[in-house]
Amino acid sequence: MSTDLTFTTGRHPDGAVVLAARGEIDMSNAAAFAAALNDAHEQDRAGTLVVDLTAVEYLDSAGLSALFPHVDHVRLIVTPLLAPVLTVVGLSDLTTVAG
Amino acid sequence: MGSAERGTPPGDEVFAGDGGVGRDLAAVPWESTPLGTPESWPQSLRTAVDILLSSRFPMWMAWGPELTFFCNAAYRRDTLGDKYPWALGRPASEVWAEIWGDIGPRIETVLSTGEATWDEALLLFLERSGYTEESYHTFSYSPLRNDDGSPIGMLCVVSEETDRVIGERRMATLRDLGSDPSSIRTEQQMLAAAGAQLAHNLRDLPFTLTYLFDGSNARLAASTGIARGHPAAPAVLVAGDSPVWPLAAATRGEAVLVELDASFAGLPAGDWDEPPTQALLVPLLRQGAAPYGFLVAALNRYRALDSGYRGFIELTAGHLAAGVASARSYEAQQRRAEELSELDRAKTTFFSNISHEFRTPLTLIMGPLEDLRARSGEADPRVREELDVIHRNGLRLGKLVNALLDFSRIEAGRMQARYEPVDLAEATAELASVFRSAVERAGLSFEVDCPPLSQPVYLDRGMWEKVILNLLSNALKFTFTGSVRVAVQSLAGQAVVTVTDTGIGVPRSEMPRLFERFHRIENARSRSNEGSGIGLALVKELVEMHGGTITADSTDGLGTAFVIRLPFGSAHLPADALSPAGSMAAVSATADPYVQEAMRWLPAGADDPQAQQAADDARAGHNPADVLVADDNADMRDYLTRLLRSAGHRVVAVADGQDALDAARARNPDLVVSDVMMPRLDGLQLVAALRGDPRTASTPVLLLSARAGQEASIEGLEAGADDYLVKPFSSAELLARVRANVELARLRNHHTRWRTALIDSLQEAFFVCDADGAVIEINSTFADVLGYGPEGLPYAPVHPWWPDRDADPEGFRQVEDSFATLLEDTRGTYTIPVNHSDGHRLWVAAAFNQVMDPDTGRHVIVGTFRDVTAEHYAVQRESALAAVSVLLSQADSLTGALRSVLPVLKDLWRATDACAVVFDGSPTPVVTATGQDQTWTTLPEVRREAVTAVREQPLLVPVADRMAGAGIALEHPDGTMVLWVDLAEQRPFTEQDQTLLALLAGHIGQGLHRVHQIDQQRETALALQRAILGPAQLPAGFAVRYSPATRPLKVGGDWYDTVTLPDGRIGIVVGDCVGHGLEAATVMGQLRSACRALLLQNIDPAQTLTALDRFAAQLPGAMCATVFCGILDPATGELKYSSAGHPPAVVTHSDGNADLLDQGRSRPLGVRASAERPEALYTVPARATLLLYTDGLVERRRQPLTAGIDRAAAAVQDGRAAPLEDLATDLMDTMAPAGGYDDDVALLLYRQPGPLELEFAAEATRLAPVRTALRGWLERCGVDTITAQNVLVAAGEACANAIEHGHRHARAGRILLQAAATADDLHLTITDSGDWKTPQPAANPHRGRGLTLMRALMSEVTITTGAAGTIVGLQARISR
Repeated sequence: MSTDLTFTTGRHPDGAVVLAARGEIDMSNAAAFAAALNDAHEQDRAGTLVVDLTAVEYLDSAGLSALFPHVDHVRLIVTPLLAPVLTVVGLSDLTTVAG
Repeated sequence: MGSAERGTPPGDEVFAGDGGVGRDLAAVPWESTPLGTPESWPQSLRTAVDILLSSRFPMWMAWGPELTFFCNAAYRRDTLGDKYPWALGRPASEVWAEIWGDIGPRIETVLSTGEATWDEALLLFLERSGYTEESYHTFSYSPLRNDDGSPIGMLCVVSEETDRVIGERRMATLRDLGSDPSSIRTEQQMLAAAGAQLAHNLRDLPFTLTYLFDGSNARLAASTGIARGHPAAPAVLVAGDSPVWPLAAATRGEAVLVELDASFAGLPAGDWDEPPTQALLVPLLRQGAAPYGFLVAALNRYRALDSGYRGFIELTAGHLAAGVASARSYEAQQRRAEELSELDRAKTTFFSNISHEFRTPLTLIMGPLEDLRARSGEADPRVREELDVIHRNGLRLGKLVNALLDFSRIEAGRMQARYEPVDLAEATAELASVFRSAVERAGLSFEVDCPPLSQPVYLDRGMWEKVILNLLSNALKFTFTGSVRVAVQSLAGQAVVTVTDTGIGVPRSEMPRLFERFHRIENARSRSNEGSGIGLALVKELVEMHGGTITADSTDGLGTAFVIRLPFGSAHLPADALSPAGSMAAVSATADPYVQEAMRWLPAGADDPQAQQAADDARAGHNPADVLVADDNADMRDYLTRLLRSAGHRVVAVADGQDALDAARARNPDLVVSDVMMPRLDGLQLVAALRGDPRTASTPVLLLSARAGQEASIEGLEAGADDYLVKPFSSAELLARVRANVELARLRNHHTRWRTALIDSLQEAFFVCDADGAVIEINSTFADVLGYGPEGLPYAPVHPWWPDRDADPEGFRQVEDSFATLLEDTRGTYTIPVNHSDGHRLWVAAAFNQVMDPDTGRHVIVGTFRDVTAEHYAVQRESALAAVSVLLSQADSLTGALRSVLPVLKDLWRATDACAVVFDGSPTPVVTATGQDQTWTTLPEVRREAVTAVREQPLLVPVADRMAGAGIALEHPDGTMVLWVDLAEQRPFTEQDQTLLALLAGHIGQGLHRVHQIDQQRETALALQRAILGPAQLPAGFAVRYSPATRPLKVGGDWYDTVTLPDGRIGIVVGDCVGHGLEAATVMGQLRSACRALLLQNIDPAQTLTALDRFAAQLPGAMCATVFCGILDPATGELKYSSAGHPPAVVTHSDGNADLLDQGRSRPLGVRASAERPEALYTVPARATLLLYTDGLVERRRQPLTAGIDRAAAAVQDGRAAPLEDLATDLMDTMAPAGGYDDDVALLLYRQPGPLELEFAAEATRLAPVRTALRGWLERCGVDTITAQNVLVAAGEACANAIEHGHRHARAGRILLQAAATADDLHLTITDSGDWKTPQPAANPHRGRGLTLMRALMSEVTITTGAAGTIVGLQARISR
C-alpha cells in the first residue's frame, strides 16, 4: 500500500498547466508522481509546467528524482516546510515559497 | 491495517492489546468453552481482557462457570513458564491443579463475598520449568463483575517475589554465620555454632555434612539436618575405598555435584516433604595449601542450582573454612603455651638433677673438713679460723642445695613424706630451743609458749624442722629490737603454731607475693643480705603437704606473725605415708646450718670481726659511732681500730686518703680519723675533698700527725679539719677527742641525719643537682633504680645513664631536651629513657623543683623519679594495639588496611621505612610500603634477602637483624606476608620490641582476615540487595541507580520503582524506609510490592499513598517511611504526584532552569493515617529531566538539605545534554562524598519524552506510518517544524536506503529506528541488516542525492557498516 498522494491538474490564469499534489511523496509513490508530471507536461509540451506542492507535507530524494527530468520547464510552488530540501539540491531558483 | 496484516479473523480485536499472547488467545477454540466465541462475549469480559492484555504487570484472570483462564505476556514470562500456551482457555483449576488446594478457597471467597484478597509472599510450588519449583508470590484476587454487576470471575495481580524471599533467607543465614565469633575458641565449638545457624535454614540446606581431612581420609566433624550414623553420613571416609562422597575430587579442591540416586536411600528432607535429589560438595579452601576438608550441602530439590545458589553454598563453605583456620591458629597458640609449661617442668627436673650433682662433691668436701676441724684443736688459730669459714659456707651451700632439691621433689610429686603422730608442742619447743642462744645473743627476748596439746599431730619430722627453722631464722634476720615468740595452741579443732616477731614487718604491697618462690622484698633492712628467696615458699609447700595452711599478718615497722594451722588426726593424709610413732628423736643435723648461719649475723667470739663489732656495740653504751680510720701504717691502723672498738665504736680502716674518700662518700661515717702523711691523697687533701662534697662537708675530721708545732696544726685546721692531734698521743686523749667531736658533730648534724634518713626512706629515687646539672646527692632508691651509687658522686652531665648518643640518637635527644627544661624551668616533670649501669633500658618519670640552698645561697635542683618502664611499655603496647585495631576496623580493603597500619609501625620504631611483602604465589611478591611506590624489584637486595629469610621462619616469631631491621611472618589471605621495619642504624631491637611486634603482627593478621571476610560479605550483600530490588524492567526514558552506604556497608531502606499502568501511564515511586540492614530491606520489599499493587488498583498517587498508610500501620518498621509517588503520562508529560514526607523531585528544563516539585506534600507513611493526602499536577516540559532521589544523595552533615538539593539540580543542569544513562552515572559520582555515600541512595531519572523505538519491515509502504510516529515524537520533543521536517527527511532517506538494501537481499529484513532527545540535541539511529554499498551516483543518481540531503540537513551523520548490517547515526541540534 502506497503512501497517500493525490493529484489535480488545472490551468493557471496565465495559461500554464498546473499540477497540484496533495499528501506525502516518498519512494513508495515517487513513480506515481513521475507519471503525473509526465502526463501534465504532455498537455503543453512547449509551456511551463507549474507544480503546486503547497499541500505536500513531505518530499524526499525519491520525489526530487521525479522532478529533475523537468527542471528546464517547471516552476515549483512550495511551503517553507519543503524549501530547505529544494535549496540543498539546487532547485531554489525554480521555486516560489508561498505562505 | 495491523490486524489485517496478521491475518487474524475479524471480531477478535478483543485480543489486540498484545501481539503475542493475543494471537495465541485468538487461536483458542473458544466455542468449545463455556464462554463461547469472542463475538458473543459481554462487554464486561471484553473490557477485562483488554485491561489484562495491555498491562505490563503480571496478571491472570478467570471468568465464567469454569473459571476459564486468561493471562498476559508478563505473567507468561514470570510465572507460567512451560504451561503456555496450553493453559489459555482451560479451567483455572486444571491450569493450577498443583496449587489449587491453596488458591481455590481464596477464589471461592472472592466470588462469594465480592471482596478482594491479599497474600504476601505466599509459598507456591509451581510446575513451570520442568520441575516442581519453590516460588513466592504476592498477589491480590479481586472480583470481576458481569454486565449486571454480579461477580463472575476474578482478576489476579501477581508480583513474583521468589528472588526476594530466597535472597533474604540466604542473606540471614550468612549474616548469622558471621555473627559473634569472639567467644568461639575451638574447632569443635566453631563447627557447633555454625551448625546451629545452618540448621535454621533447612530449606536451602536440607542437610549438611562437614568433613575434615585427616591425612588422605576424612572424618565427619559436623552435620546438620541428618542423624549421625546415617548411611550417608559415615564417621570416616577412607580414601581409595570408594567412599560415599567423592573424596578424591574434594582433596584436589574441586566442587562436585553429586546425584543422590537410589544408593542414598532414606535421606532426611529438611523442611520439605521429599528428600533432596542432589548435593553439592564444596571444598573448605585453605590459602596456599590443600583444603581443610569439604562441605556436603544437600540441595533444595525445588530450586535449580543457579549461580546465586552455588555462590551461597560457596560462601557458607568459605565461612566454615575461615572458622577452621582461626580455631586452628588458636589451638596452635594453646599448644605453644603448653610447650612453655613443659619447658618449665624440664627446668625443674634440671634443678633437681643439678642439686643432686652438687650434693656429692659437697659431701666429699664436708666429710674431710669435719675430720680436719676435729684434728686441728692445737693448730694455728688462723688455720682453725679459716677451716671454720669453709665449714660455715659449706653448711650454707648444703642448706641451699637441700632447699632447691626439696622444691624439685615437691614439684615432681616425688617428695616422700612419712607422717607419724608427734607431740607438736614438744617438737616445736625443742626446735625453738635450738635458736634460743642465737636470738638472745641478738639482744632479743625469746618467748616459747608451748603447752602440751590434747592429741598428737601427724608430722614428717624432717619437714617440720625446716618449717620452724626457716620461720625462726626469718624472724631473727629481720628483727632488731624486741622479741621473737613461738606459740602452740589448740584452736577450733586445729593445732595452731604461731611465730611472731617485732621486726621491720612486711609492706602491705608485698604481702601478696610473700610466699612466692624467689621473691625477695627489696631494700628491706635485715641482718644479712644473704638469701635465695625460697625459704617462705618452701615453708608454704611443706605446710600444705601436711594438709595445713600458713598465713602471715604484718604491720610495716611493727612486726610479723606467721600462723600455721594443722589438722589433728591422719584422715587428711595418704594412708600409705603414715607410720607409727617413732622415738622422740632429738633435733637432727638439719638445724645446724640454720643456727650457724644465724649466728654469723650476730656478735659472737672475739676472733670474728663482725662478732667483734657487735660486742663493741654492747660496750659502747649509749654512744657508739661509725669511725673511719685512714692510716698507711698497718700497725697504727690496727692499734687505732682496737682502741676505738674497745670504746664501743664501729670502725672501718683504710690504708690511704683516696680509699678514705671513697669510703666516706659511700658510708658517711660519724668521724674520720686520718693520718696526715699518706700515699695517693694525703690527709690535708682528703679534708679538702671531703669539705668540697656536700655530703661529707660536715663530717668531722680528726687529723693525726707526727709533725709537731703550731704551724702544722694551723695548716690542718685551715684545711678544714675539726681537730688535730700530734703523735704520740695517749689513748685516753684520742678517745676523748673522738667522743667530743662525734658528739659535737651529732648535735650539729642531727638535722642532716634526719634529712638523710628521710630521703633514704623515700620510695622514689631522689637527687639534687647543682646549677650546672651535676648530680651531687642521691638516695638509696636512686642507686637501686639506676645502679649508680653515691660512690660515683658527683655525676657531671652528660650523666652516665643517658642513652648513647650514637646508638640511640632519638633517646639521647629526648633526655637532652628534658635536661634543658630541668636547668631552665623552676619546676616540671618529664619521662625519659635511661640506661641502668648494667646496660638495660629503663623509663623513668621525674619531677623537679628549683630551690635555694639556705647555706650557700646557690640555686640547686631537687628532683625525684620512679621507674615507669613497665607502664611505659604497657602504654606503648596498648596504644599501638588500639591504633592498629581502629585502623583495621576502618579499612575496607586489604591494601587499604596495610597502607593504614604500616605508618603506625614506622612511627612506633622510628623506622626509616616499613613495608609488607605478600608472597601470593605470583613470580614477584606484592609490596606495600610507607615510602614511595615500592615494588619487589625496587627494594634493595639486602632487604629482599632479609625479607625472604623471615618468610622461612615460623609464623609470628619476630626476627631482628642488627644491621637491617626487624621482621615477622604472618598469614595474609593471599599467602604468607612478611612485615618489615627498617631500623635506624644500630637501633637496638629489645625483647620488649619483639613482644610488641609479635602482638601487632597477630593483630594485623586477624584484622586482615576480617577485612577479607567483610569484603566478601559486602559483595554478597550487594548482590542480594539487587536481587530484592529486582531486575529493572524499565519503561523507555528512565534511568535508575542504587548504591549502598559505603562504610560500614549498609543495604536496606531505599528503593525506586516504575509501574506501567493499563492505560499506558507510568507509576513512579521512590521511597526510603527508616533504618538499615536486613530488616529495613524486608520492609522495603514489602512496601515496594504493596505500592505496586495499589498503584495498579488506584491509578491515583494520593489514594495510593493513603492506602499505603493503612498498610504501613500494620507493618512493623514501615512507619515514617517517606515515599514520592507519581503517575506520569509519557504522551503529554503530565505528572500527578503526592509526596509522603519525601524530599522534592527536581525538574531541569532544557534551558537549565529548574523547578522543585514541592507541592502535594504531606506527612510520612503511617503518621495520622486517616487524614487526606494532597495531590499536585505538573507538566514536564519537552526535553526536561525529572530527578527523583532519596536523602542519601543530598544529605550531608552540617549542611542544610536545600544545599544538597541545589547541588543535585546543578549536576543535572550540567548533564542535561548528556544521554540519560551517562547522566545517572555522572550524578552518582559527582554527588558522592570523598569517602563514599554514608547512607544508601536510590535515584530515578526521566527525560520527557522517552526515547522512540520503531521496528518495521524493510518495505516502502511502511515509510508513511513510521513518519507519522516520528512526527508525533518530534512534536513531543518540542522541536520547531523546520527542524522536525529536516529530521523527517534525513530519517526518511536513511530508511529508504535500508529498504533498498533489504530488497536487494532476497527477503525483506527489519529496520530499527531509535530516537532520543537531550536538552540540546536529537539523536537518531537507523539500523538494518543489509550492507550499504558506497553509493554509485551513475547507477542510482537519487541515492547519492539522499546522502547529500542527510548531510546537509543534519549537524552530524555517521554510517557504520559491519557484517551484521548498517547503522546510520543522525544528530540534529535544536535551536532554543
